[in-house]
Amino acid sequence: MRKSLRNSGWMWDFTITGLAMIRVSQGALLDDATRAALASGRAAPALSLFIDTLIEMRGMSELEGEAIAGGALETETPAEMSPSALDMAFAAIERGGRPSSSRALTYPELADVPVALRELIRDAEGMRNWSYAGPGIRRLDLGAKGPLKLEIIRLSAGKAVPRHTHKGRELTLCVQGEFSDGVATYGPGDFSVTDGSVHHQPRAHDNAPAYALAVTDAGLKFEGALGAIQKILGQ
Amino acid sequence: MQSDGTSSRGTPRPAGETLGEGDRAHFADLLVAVAERQDRQAYAELFSYYAPRVKSYLMRLGADNSQAEEIAQDVMVTVWRKAQLFDRNQASVSTWIFRVARNRRIDLFRRAKRPDLDPEETMILPSGVEAPDARVEAMETETRVRAAMKDLPEEQVSLLRLAFYEGLSHREIADKLGVPLGTVKSRIRLAFAKMKAKLGDE
Repeated sequence: MRKSLRNSGWMWDFTITGLAMIRVSQGALLDDATRAALASGRAAPALSLFIDTLIEMRGMSELEGEAIAGGALETETPAEMSPSALDMAFAAIERGGRPSSSRALTYPELADVPVALRELIRDAEGMRNWSYAGPGIRRLDLGAKGPLKLEIIRLSAGKAVPRHTHKGRELTLCVQGEFSDGVATYGPGDFSVTDGSVHHQPRAHDNAPAYALAVTDAGLKFEGALGAIQKILGQ
Repeated sequence: MQSDGTSSRGTPRPAGETLGEGDRAHFADLLVAVAERQDRQAYAELFSYYAPRVKSYLMRLGADNSQAEEIAQDVMVTVWRKAQLFDRNQASVSTWIFRVARNRRIDLFRRAKRPDLDPEETMILPSGVEAPDARVEAMETETRVRAAMKDLPEEQVSLLRLAFYEGLSHREIADKLGVPLGTVKSRIRLAFAKMKAKLGDE
């Protein structure tokens, strides 16, 4: 059960002492309703971005839904725009200047993540700082609208997130580096789905920082003071 | 702007039809010209084709005329600003602009219009099926989807559009068409499966 399943082409579904957790590796597909929700924009923004990132990192061809939508856009009966619409667009373009010149990222290693995620990180860094979340842990709220929270978490080399559970479900996608949560090891493109009953504690490998993109549907419920639980459990 | 060898340039394109391959390549050239040298003429041509269609899309989703106009403008300004992010090997201009419009709409409408999303429906549900091994280029997928859509019966095409383009849930589609929810689910599954099968065929 503990062998590495990274990139093995299987979905792995297991239960640890009654706690449900699914680790999904290469090969998991989305059902039609989920795809439609993602393609059309009906899904929560946080989830859309998460999935877009996942799909891009894996080079999965999940583009059918968007291609349907792109074709549908072409078949729209054009609605008349005001005669000055184009001039107004040019005026707005002039006001806004050139396509945004890139501000440097706080952590340059994030330059390689999928472009939509990178731009979102850049935007978020323009509005707020990475916040302290324990020794060696930083997090940045990506400010997704809607009911889900989207953030990126940075684990310094060798550091672990305090052991915690979630009130709701959490999706975690490794976007850079490697970390282990005591059950499995995650590299770029690997993700896990955990529900409220799972206690997990991702720890970055010793050689480099790791970054995880996380979607949660309720606030994190940390158990006790930061780090205290780790001692109690001898971790 | 260079000629791309298609004859349709400059002539009004009919509403209600998808673009041919030549037109799609031409629009990609235009967007690349915007990205690489801020080509205003290229942009104007994209604007005249896409702005009215994006506006239509927004009105279809419930925006009124002036909202739709304003958002369509905004989308087109974003198209200029983000043109460098367009990759012609990844998507057609239409699909790319659809994404820009969709994301803009999500920003603006979502909270007001759909506060009570069914979380089950939009949560990720791994199906356990293995991904097709063929890792076709994204653009190839798009070309094939377009071809496959042409062969599907109109009824199935419109179901796929309601789901993937207008973003209606299965429940909403059932209400709209006046058919049972189960029927909608099975028809969409069938339509999507047929399309996927066609993709596999080629």
